[in-house]
Amino acid sequence: MHKIKRKRIFKNIILDILIAIVVIACIFPFAWMVMTSLKTRVQTIDPSVWIFHPTLENYQSIFQKRNLFMYIKNSTIVVSLTTLISLILGTFAAYGLARFRFPRREDIAFWILSLRMLPPMAVVIPFFLLGRFIGLLDTHILLIIVYLSFNIPFTVWMMRGFIEEIPQEVEEAAWIDGCSRIQGLFRVVFPLILPGIAATAIFCVIQSWNEFALAFFLTSFNARTVPTTVTFFLSVLGVIWGEMAAVGVVATAPVLLFALLVQKYLVRGLTLGALKS
Amino acid sequence: MGKRKEHYAFILPALIALVIIVIFPTIFLWYVSFTNYDLSMGWEKKSFIGLENYVYLFTEDKDFWHSLKISILFMGLTVACEFVLGLGIALLFHRRLWGKRLWMSFLIIPMVITPTIISLIWKLMLNTEYGVLNYMLSLFSIGKVNWLGYKEAFWSLIIVDIWEWTPFMALILYAGLQSLPQEPYEAAIVDGATSTQIFYFLTLPLLKPMIIVALLLRSIDALKIFDVVYGLTQGGPGNATELMSLHIYRLGFRHTNWIGRSSANAVILLLISTFLTMVLLRSLRKSQKGGSDFA
Repeated sequence: MHKIKRKRIFKNIILDILIAIVVIACIFPFAWMVMTSLKTRVQTIDPSVWIFHPTLENYQSIFQKRNLFMYIKNSTIVVSLTTLISLILGTFAAYGLARFRFPRREDIAFWILSLRMLPPMAVVIPFFLLGRFIGLLDTHILLIIVYLSFNIPFTVWMMRGFIEEIPQEVEEAAWIDGCSRIQGLFRVVFPLILPGIAATAIFCVIQSWNEFALAFFLTSFNARTVPTTVTFFLSVLGVIWGEMAAVGVVATAPVLLFALLVQKYLVRGLTLGALKS
Repeated sequence: MGKRKEHYAFILPALIALVIIVIFPTIFLWYVSFTNYDLSMGWEKKSFIGLENYVYLFTEDKDFWHSLKISILFMGLTVACEFVLGLGIALLFHRRLWGKRLWMSFLIIPMVITPTIISLIWKLMLNTEYGVLNYMLSLFSIGKVNWLGYKEAFWSLIIVDIWEWTPFMALILYAGLQSLPQEPYEAAIVDGATSTQIFYFLTLPLLKPMIIVALLLRSIDALKIFDVVYGLTQGGPGNATELMSLHIYRLGFRHTNWIGRSSANAVILLLISTFLTMVLLRSLRKSQKGGSDFA
């Protein structure tokens, strides 16, 4: 009996060590970036420096010399508007797909979902040419519209799942009290799916904030978003690693905070609303 | 609007928006792929050349075949490794554990960080001279690895993708493990099944629908990858990491401005990803009818 117990303790220690390795592997690159962003230029190319006096000069320089603020402003405008429009159009469509029975309903729903899978490099050429024809290249409007192509399908599927979790009887009770369908939707359903709306909005924000390929080809100077700052740091000779890391910290901090808020819905969001956990 | 058509009022706005934003440009892409258009000429100067761009890709463009080959290799290797590791991690967490929620929240980091930022962090860590990875290897007296060299870059790319997406697999599979019914397990234990048998004959078959969805989602994503590759290697050195999306970029934008040829290549990428998407949707619909964990 004693032997078995010892064996089990030993096994648990091994499993705990494995978990520790996994967690450290997930954190390390991010932690290394934070450290690098606080190092002086000489320290950034010395991987043996782990303990040092942090400096904020990299952060100063990306806001002063690199004009990072403009990129953040552009990203914020594009992300918030594309999310807002997607939520409005997508939530209504989700309600229609959740509450009505009509022919080809599932075909329509799955066709919408399929659009979420489009490769960005396959659609970027027509967007680029059409954008050039109508003179919308390098504008917020073009990016906002293009980002709807993945945000609307995502919203439709996420919100459909949330609406289906609300029993129809709740609405029917409101109709008996004299509410129309639309009134019932606004007064009864919306308050109940508010957490779902918030979670969906956050996912839209994250995926739009992180999007690179479309932003890179459809903007050139004025409407550049945060991920396109990668181009500052691609020169073969002497990348300014400290500034790179500082941009990285500024770009990823909001996304990480947002992601923590929607942890509960993460599996659902990552599988585009197709899986519930 | 009659009662029978009421649903249109709800779904049409989104549908119309999607048709304008996605379907119209896609048709336009097909059209351009049959022309000899090139960025340096006027739009009215182009002419219709039928299948010539496709013939060029399949017969003359060696780099096209190379990009197709390594795209498929990249997809297969990353998805397989991410699945095996992800399942392992999911099983690790699938037990009583102090502070489990906290540990699991760290798994979110790799998949929500901006991909271009990921590529730059790794570019720094993989640097031959002053990267932290070679520094750590030197502590074990292992010599310098040229991580982003011609032979190694493709494998480094795979490592970065595995780091980024294994937690995604782990979280989905963990959610699957948590939702499994208890009864079959009790029955199996009563019947004296070993834990290996339970895993192969119970856990894996029960998880199958979720596994298929996770694998297909990752496969589609791996096939269309652009951002991380661009940030890490830009398709180089040479064309060592020129996956399909990067080849489209090089044909159309970087050196040659051959938008027609580039569009033909984009159509091929679109067809492959559409095929994978159809397979994914079919399996989703099938499991939906089974009414398991699906929306």
